[in-house]
Amino acid sequence: MTMAVRVFLVLALVVAGFFAPRILGGSPAVYSACVLIAIFAVMAYGLDMIVSDVGEVSLGQSLFFAAGAYTTALLSTGPKLGPIPAFCGSMAAAVVIAALLGLVTLRLREFVFSLVTYAVVVVAVTFAQNWSFLGGSDGLGGIPPFQLSFATLSFTARNDKELWPVAYLLVLVAIYLVHAFRRSRLGQAALMVHLNPRLATMSGINPQRTRLSVFMFSAPITAAAGWLYAYQRAYVSADVLEVYFLILMLTAVVLFGRGWLLGPLAGVSLILVQEKFLSFGGDVDKIILGGVLIVTLTLLPRGLAGALQPISTLAEAALYRFGNRMPKRS
Amino acid sequence: MNLSQQFINGLVLGHAYALIAVGWTVLLGIARLVNFAHGQIYMLCAFVAWYVTSRLGLPYLISFPAAMLMGIAVGYVMQRVLLLLTLKQDLVSIMIATLGFGYVLQGTAALVFGSTGQIFETPLSRAEVYFENVWFTYQDIAIITATIVLFTVLRYTIKRTHVGRLTRMVAEDPHLAQLAGIDVRKVYLAVFAFEGAAVAVAAVLVAPRTPILTSMGFEEVIVTFVVVVLGGIGSILGSYVAGLALGLFTAFFGALVAPAYTTAAAFAVLIAVLVLRPGGFAARAGEH
Amino acid sequence: MSGHPSLEARELNVGYAGNNALTLSLLAVGEGELVGVVGANGAGKSTLVNSLLGWSRGSPRVSGTVWLGGSRISNLPTHERVRAGLLLVPEGKLVFGRMTVEENLTGMRTTPRNDDRRTYSIADVYDLFPRLAERRYHLGAQLSGGERQMLGIARALRFGPRVLLLDEPSIGLAPRLVSSVLRTVRSLVDAGLSVLLVEQNVRAAIEVVDRLILLERGRVVAEGAAAAMRDDPRIAEAYLGAQAG
Repeated sequence: MTMAVRVFLVLALVVAGFFAPRILGGSPAVYSACVLIAIFAVMAYGLDMIVSDVGEVSLGQSLFFAAGAYTTALLSTGPKLGPIPAFCGSMAAAVVIAALLGLVTLRLREFVFSLVTYAVVVVAVTFAQNWSFLGGSDGLGGIPPFQLSFATLSFTARNDKELWPVAYLLVLVAIYLVHAFRRSRLGQAALMVHLNPRLATMSGINPQRTRLSVFMFSAPITAAAGWLYAYQRAYVSADVLEVYFLILMLTAVVLFGRGWLLGPLAGVSLILVQEKFLSFGGDVDKIILGGVLIVTLTLLPRGLAGALQPISTLAEAALYRFGNRMPKRS
Repeated sequence: MNLSQQFINGLVLGHAYALIAVGWTVLLGIARLVNFAHGQIYMLCAFVAWYVTSRLGLPYLISFPAAMLMGIAVGYVMQRVLLLLTLKQDLVSIMIATLGFGYVLQGTAALVFGSTGQIFETPLSRAEVYFENVWFTYQDIAIITATIVLFTVLRYTIKRTHVGRLTRMVAEDPHLAQLAGIDVRKVYLAVFAFEGAAVAVAAVLVAPRTPILTSMGFEEVIVTFVVVVLGGIGSILGSYVAGLALGLFTAFFGALVAPAYTTAAAFAVLIAVLVLRPGGFAARAGEH
Repeated sequence: MSGHPSLEARELNVGYAGNNALTLSLLAVGEGELVGVVGANGAGKSTLVNSLLGWSRGSPRVSGTVWLGGSRISNLPTHERVRAGLLLVPEGKLVFGRMTVEENLTGMRTTPRNDDRRTYSIADVYDLFPRLAERRYHLGAQLSGGERQMLGIARALRFGPRVLLLDEPSIGLAPRLVSSVLRTVRSLVDAGLSVLLVEQNVRAAIEVVDRLILLERGRVVAEGAAAAMRDDPRIAEAYLGAQAG
């Protein structure tokens, strides 16, 4: 497959994706589903980076999602700032929180790390529900519609249909960032740290710094999803920290395994389609979602098992690039 | 503020925390499994016990076997489903799968028992005791007694009986235990069942203290984490001491500062300890 | 005495993703016989030991049958092969460090049997290894390398093995200790025990074994009685390899 054909196919896919909601009927429900799919996919891509590449099970990704949502809510309702400043604020908040969390959890053992990141979210819920600055149990409402003004041009999204281009652009950017990350030096380093920390160290890589860097790179991506979610819903409360989002992210990441760049997007699509169009009630949906996660992990090794166990070919490729050979096992 | 009252509250709360955590620390210590569904199993057992006493009108004592049956059944099902992952020692996938299990349990409980909060009343929780300037119930006494008894029996079993020795061998090295002729799979099953039974007993005794909600599992498990990590993974005595310390801390913090932020404060203590000593207070060799 | 060999492996083939780790048509250990399997690192010794026990690292393709005292055990899980009498003293971590010597010994199940397997009581074991008796309340982690090797063998004896598998007992031990341990094993064999000794240290092994098998790249390249093998040029080559390495 030549480069030109590849580029053509990707462009075709991108254009087709943009028109997907229209092709699927164009009703408000479809647009709503597509916008949410895009937002949650971006959220999941942030987790994908941590889980699939570094191999850390960070259960606190929702925190960044909430950070993006709450920052946007606060900046757009208080000082009445627009989406661009709100976006920057969300990015900043995410990076700061990631840095703090990353430093604190730097030297923890694997499952203690998971416990702590899980607990951080629970604690955050307490703050979100009790702190009046964050709206308390009522949350922060009255977020104005997404509106960009530049000289005489202006763009307003009053509903999901109008918000779709923004959402679609966001998911494209997220996918591109993950793709670029995986081919970057940091991405390669992360993979090596994941597969063989000792060997990585001996190749001159600092595992702690790599982990922290990836953490701080993935947080803004998930926060961006929170940023847009605030506009989509026009309202932010402690709900954004519900365990639902964590389960959703994890399932989306493991469902199609590590090998596929579009995996998280496909995973989120499947889950949300079930929720929106094949639902048997919220409680049953919980059972379905949890069940899918369990089944994927236990029965489908190409899912998470394939992502978190050493993949010898990938390892050899990565290490070869760094000028080392893996010692043969006797 | 009544110091003695807070002390009594803290004591009761501490024993409750220790009791809830004991199954989890045994599972973690012996099978090295992190069970994120622990809080939801607690919630489910609490609801079963409530249903048995409030809806079916059966005596309180019956709720013990009922809840324990539920706990053991859930533990058994989880272990069977996760069996392949356990034998491959794929601990990460197991951990995430237990998250999924917890979510399924939450949905199931909401479906069966509804989403409204319930008050689980028992003859013990209604029997109050006023002594000088403190107040407590017979339920509180039951919690403390049961916890002390369970912990003593457990510690004795692990240190001195043949069964305890088997579990310690599996805990230290499952492969070497297999080479000693031990059926490690059976031990894992038993330990999972024990966790279910222990958390069931905890639920029946402790749940009457506060209203129960099908969504409470999510937060419930945090306190268990703190107790186990502070007390040392797999250490029975450590869980007891850490539970007690945490209970007293929570009671006094809640009374002096802010009741809503007690979990956050406990978590902050955990973070502080972990930053200073990343290994927690791990049990020394040979100590249990 | 039954007519079967104590341990027999037939047509054992173990492969990992296209590579053949082990190809063995027949391996047998007779009653009261000490058979040695030697070879360099990567020759397939660990693969052999693991496949006899029915345990594998990774997901290899395993085929072939394993027989213990005339009964087929290759369809049994590891712990049941152990209960049938195949005891492995593994290389590396071979005792429970967090338990005392006494607990390590009492921790082995000794179910009463109605066959002819020789059972070793704790007293018997302490007679055989007086050092362990001296250190009976010490933790496994506090023992020296040689003492741990003794404890590993003692634990296996407690079970009343049909066949004792020793995986590289010489690793990390001083030469004097190595000969002491192997001489004790030899005396056990002379008393009727069947032993399969897997070793890298050819010189030490050839002193005590009845038969010797040389493995190279997963295949048997030489096999015969110890006396005959001593003159085999390939063994001399293996000697040099062991000395230089």
